[in-house]
Amino acid sequence: MSTAALALSAPFKVEFDPNSQEFSLSGVIRPRSVDEIAASISMLREVIDEVRGVLYVNVKRLVQMNNTAFHAFARVVLDACRSRSDIRFVVVTSSVVGWTERMFGHLNKIEPQVTVEVYDSKFYPGQSFVEDTSFIPILRTQTKMTWRHERAILPRHGMRSGIAMADICCGIGDFAMLVRKEFQPARIVALDHSRASLAYARDVAAGFGITDIEYTYGDASEMLLEDNQFDFVTCRHSLQIFNQPDVLLKELHRILKPGGRVYVTNEKNSHCLGEPRSQSIQWTYEEVARLFSHFEMDVELGPKSRRYLADAGFDDIIVESFMVTNLDGDAQDFADIIAAWENVYAGEMAVKRGDPPEFIERFRQGFRDHIFAALHPKGYAGWPIWAASGRKPL
Amino acid sequence: MDAAEKEAPESAFEALLQFDMEMGAFLSDWHHCDQLASFMARMISHNRTDPVRHSNFFSSALNELLEMSFRGGSPDGRIGCAVYRRGPTERVKLTFPCPPGQRQFYREAVSKTRKGNAYARYLDAISTDLAPSRDAVLLDLAINFDAEVRLEENDPPSITLVVDLPLEGIVS
Repeated sequence: MSTAALALSAPFKVEFDPNSQEFSLSGVIRPRSVDEIAASISMLREVIDEVRGVLYVNVKRLVQMNNTAFHAFARVVLDACRSRSDIRFVVVTSSVVGWTERMFGHLNKIEPQVTVEVYDSKFYPGQSFVEDTSFIPILRTQTKMTWRHERAILPRHGMRSGIAMADICCGIGDFAMLVRKEFQPARIVALDHSRASLAYARDVAAGFGITDIEYTYGDASEMLLEDNQFDFVTCRHSLQIFNQPDVLLKELHRILKPGGRVYVTNEKNSHCLGEPRSQSIQWTYEEVARLFSHFEMDVELGPKSRRYLADAGFDDIIVESFMVTNLDGDAQDFADIIAAWENVYAGEMAVKRGDPPEFIERFRQGFRDHIFAALHPKGYAGWPIWAASGRKPL
Repeated sequence: MDAAEKEAPESAFEALLQFDMEMGAFLSDWHHCDQLASFMARMISHNRTDPVRHSNFFSSALNELLEMSFRGGSPDGRIGCAVYRRGPTERVKLTFPCPPGQRQFYREAVSKTRKGNAYARYLDAISTDLAPSRDAVLLDLAINFDAEVRLEENDPPSITLVVDLPLEGIVS
């Protein structure tokens, strides 16, 4: 993809991608006069002369824009509408930066050739599957079971009291609550892109009288959080459901202080195991990996964490794995998790992929056998997880 | 914002943060607007439901007010900015030197934000002005941030803009 980039005075960036006919504004644009952004205004005019059909004006990474800049860019777009009836403008905003939706939305009132789309889910192919509130009890059980291991693992990866930490993709907030209690960080920001999960997290915190966790609605791939402010950033079970984990890691790297560490956990689902009936279980979890791949998610990412962290610029990378099993606490908890997986993976995702009934029945059988293994007095059922961390170089 | 909120006495608002500086120092660098807006936004938003997004919205609004005082300000005197809170609303009181000849302009600009045709005026400003006028900036606050704006006329040479921003309701 060829991308023309115009590096102007920090901290904003103007780019045009001719392949997707997308003109992007990002960062903070607060000029004193139009002259300061003359180059980018000229670039937009030139782009308009080049394009045919639709020009996408992407402002979803635009953190701030003052009225001087807004009027200048708006004027170019509106003038073009009047002189070029053959092109349409689609302004792509973000629900996270809410004022852009309001400001740019007015352009449609002036010229119907301009429409505004609110970007929300491009980076979240799996969001709808995990946002269902019926999944919340299972998420809580999963965190409870992994926490038994992670509370011992986390200090090896940089967790300690008094730090500033961010839990990105915090979900229903249980992990942030557990960390707060166990390690007493000085500051916790917990970010997620699910309003339902955040509402739940805030309710739980309020119920315990906890006011010092900053729950934030945000997009992990383009956060409003500023650069270099956290000692420790956690992102659990989430790289594997992003279709572009490298984009997410770049953001995690950005918000870390130099010398700070990012901590990620991910799975390799095909390595879920159980005895007895190991073959049936293995077949199903290999199919789980294929199913997620169909929806652009990589639930085999766990052992790839080292490569991803290295490619994202981290050093001093530590990788370890642990196995959540039916022998950790209550075996029924393990069984409940697998039953929830069966409901979502076989009952929703496979159906959405269009799998035939005979496939779905065999697919379900593996989950049932995994539950059987978990609850059998002599059985063993496992769910392996890879925990990895890397340091942002000083 | 309900009627009770509009009519709330000053004493009903809790003081959060304020700064005061020589106008000459403020006018020495355009970036002071951005820096002050971002800093104050971060400070006053930390205990809002969504601190990060609240800070982003508040910074947008405060920056416009600071830019307005920067553009219209004379180097004599002082600029003061205080932020208060009542429920979901932040109140910004911005005091800055205003030459006598500009007072009427501010009276009219504030008055325009309250009129029924405010939105039409705002659209007209976007579609015709290359650069925003100061009254368009106040309209922007009224339209995009649901702000209530009023003017307090102090003893010359200063005026005070009082802007109520119900951002908590917009953000969360």
